[in-house]
Amino acid sequence: MRCYHCGERNPPGAVWLLTIDGAERGFCCAGCRAVAQTIRAAGLESFYTRRTSVAQRPGEDDEWLQHAIAAEAAGLIAHIDASHDEISLLLEGIRCGACVWIIENYLQRLPGVAEVDVNFATRRARVRWDPRTLQIPELLRAIANIGYRAYPYDPRRREALARRESRALLSRMAIALLAMMQVMMFAVPAYMSTDGVEREYQILLDWASLVLTLPVVFYSATPFFFGAWHDLRSRRLGMDVPVALGVAAAFAASAWATVTRHGDIYFDSVTMFVALLLVARWFELRARQKAGDAIEAMARELPQTAERLPGFPAARNAETIAAAKLVVGDVIRIDTAAPVPADGEILEGRSSVEEALLTGESWPRVKAPGDKVLAGSINRESPLIVRVTAAGGSTALAALSRLVERAASQKPRIGRLADGVAGWFVSALLMVAAGAALIWWHIDASRALLITFAVLVVSCPCALSLATPAALAAAAGALGRRKILAVRADAMEALSRVTHVVLDKTGTLTTGRVQLVDVTTLRQQDAAQCLSLVTALEQGSVHPIALALRDAGAAARVATNVVAVTGCGVEGTIAGRRYRCGHPEWAGRIHTMPLPSAAESIDVEHTVVALADEHGWVAWMTFGDAMRPSARALVDSLHKLGIEVSLVSGDRSVTARYVAEAVGIDEYHGDATPEDKRAFIRALQSRGATVAMVGDGVNDAPGLAQADVSLTLGSAATLTQWTADVVVLGSDLGCVSTAIQTARRTFRVIRQNLAWAFGYNAIAIPLAATGHVSPLAASLGMSISSFIVVANALRLARRDNSPRAQQAARARLLAAS
Amino acid sequence: MDILYLLIPLSVVLALLIGCAFWWSVTSGQFDDLEGPAHRIISDDDSPV
Repeated sequence: MRCYHCGERNPPGAVWLLTIDGAERGFCCAGCRAVAQTIRAAGLESFYTRRTSVAQRPGEDDEWLQHAIAAEAAGLIAHIDASHDEISLLLEGIRCGACVWIIENYLQRLPGVAEVDVNFATRRARVRWDPRTLQIPELLRAIANIGYRAYPYDPRRREALARRESRALLSRMAIALLAMMQVMMFAVPAYMSTDGVEREYQILLDWASLVLTLPVVFYSATPFFFGAWHDLRSRRLGMDVPVALGVAAAFAASAWATVTRHGDIYFDSVTMFVALLLVARWFELRARQKAGDAIEAMARELPQTAERLPGFPAARNAETIAAAKLVVGDVIRIDTAAPVPADGEILEGRSSVEEALLTGESWPRVKAPGDKVLAGSINRESPLIVRVTAAGGSTALAALSRLVERAASQKPRIGRLADGVAGWFVSALLMVAAGAALIWWHIDASRALLITFAVLVVSCPCALSLATPAALAAAAGALGRRKILAVRADAMEALSRVTHVVLDKTGTLTTGRVQLVDVTTLRQQDAAQCLSLVTALEQGSVHPIALALRDAGAAARVATNVVAVTGCGVEGTIAGRRYRCGHPEWAGRIHTMPLPSAAESIDVEHTVVALADEHGWVAWMTFGDAMRPSARALVDSLHKLGIEVSLVSGDRSVTARYVAEAVGIDEYHGDATPEDKRAFIRALQSRGATVAMVGDGVNDAPGLAQADVSLTLGSAATLTQWTADVVVLGSDLGCVSTAIQTARRTFRVIRQNLAWAFGYNAIAIPLAATGHVSPLAASLGMSISSFIVVANALRLARRDNSPRAQQAARARLLAAS
Repeated sequence: MDILYLLIPLSVVLALLIGCAFWWSVTSGQFDDLEGPAHRIISDDDSPV
């Protein structure tokens, strides 16, 4: 009998049995049975009937199956519709633009694959395929067949991969640097002496240099050789090809010269070239990893386990289960200071919950039974009992990370353009090098090799294939730290060109919630005392005003005999005094005093609530849709950037004018329907403006879709309804101008890099081809040039520490408190 | 100057040894976090997490 899983002959008297598809199956070993068990547990038994050839023994092949099962269980696969599934893959082994090209093209040719998008900077691929014709294990195996490894994207795995990558690069770089120093030392005598080093010592020095160059070429430089090999195999030219050619040719020629004592020796150039190039790559890697960190830190916060109460409400004994196994309807307990494992509704307990991750709100919010809690937030005060409403892949946090993921695995237009140009650049360079070699062979054969090496080494395609992705990644990281997420890959480019910002009123310039705007006291009591009286009266109410009062957070006193009069207000007794709180006319009947003069100055935009007792008025409180504190600052900073600002609102024109004047916008339109907003933006665009629309995403959909780039403010809870290109988590409007400034800076840096690369190569390559550049100078020139473009790109990731930025940060903090 | 026949090979061996030592320290994770340990030593929290 043969093994049901791998087809090997079963050993006599095999005892590994398992029921699959209703029949007892025999297995050749415990490993095969374990795999079969995993498959059965994931409900994928149809694998055995569907497969065309038997699986390999547990090992390579089953690894992909295991990954696929794990991905399905963790909700990493998005089921778009019956014929489309989508997944983000993390790719290992990508070295350059050409790798991206080969993976994209190879996968596109697989039957069933609808869309492939590989992002070089984030090492990620977004694949959309037809699950009826292609299974994920086959997809992963297909990628393995062309020499890469792909894993369903999982933040934890990314961390491990990132660590491995940075360790490998760090040790390669350090060894190359060490060897470089020592080889330079050995080269000094030859450079310093006027009549040459004595022959016997020169031989010794050359052999010592050769020994030290060996690890540099065969260990440190291996990524370049592998990269070049991959490029050639995929019939593409990446930046690794000239580097590998240069290093290999120079090393081979120098080694030959050392052995035969005939010819020039360039060990110093080889080691320096490799070492400095690795330094540039190290910085690029650091920037890329840091950029990813800011956003991915979120998903890592999710707990691994959950405390489930299976017998609730009858029994309260908890069992610990894997968070991934939670299903809708489970009742879980969330202990103090523990993260919430799934979205849910509170059944019991009151606590404050910190949701900074999802809403950008840094202050904990008080939650009571009936309120929702979101996965990834942190329970601060006391244990909560929660019924799960969404778990695994359907939580708000998962939706958010999928969105971020999607953006990260798309490649922006500028990135694709740079890849294409880099390919052309390298093929042109190789032709120049070949031409130089041919011509110099005829002029002076002894210098041909040296000049070819110089041409290969001096050229610097880094601005295209290294610095552009690094700049985009650094900018995304800087924005991510401020909780600004560019959801569409091309959003940055559009943002950098914005000339006109159209703002919506409700939910954008204003908070969209009723808030306490002002308190006018009419007696000796101070505002806090008045508020605590009112809060006590409104304690049991769910009226928006009462909620706004609770948000204002005054310490409540105890009110008795509270009676609510619908449409008027509440009446109650506090400390023996009768108070009325509500509509001024109704409240005034308690003491029959005339309305105070303060009532006159209240404008139409606000609701007035009066507090009175039997002796007269106590206080006036005005409530309204409060302006966001940063609204005025935003308009000012946009004006400073030379951007025009308009307000288009669905509210009455009076309201629109009131708000526009308050924040300093000259152009405003009220009474606008969503279609009017769209027409307004189209009119601006026809005049040549690039328009950014800032709205709340739900009511402004037509306008947001019409604008060149759209931004919304809000929290992750409502994320799925949004159609925006850029999402700002939290309530800080200032982020809109930060986003525009960062986008502008990013594209300025990319342009600078391209200009530098063009100028440098236009001067250096002809000089090298005409024999004016020594190999050492060529190595130095190329390394410094790569260094300049990478360092320039990294400026984007730097925290903004200018005095103005610090002042702004302080203002934000004050406004928040 | 015959001493060079000792010193130069010695410097090569030393460089290789240092390279190996560094390679070991990187692969054993000593360069993964360059800031954490400095903070950990001054934090005085003995309570179990």
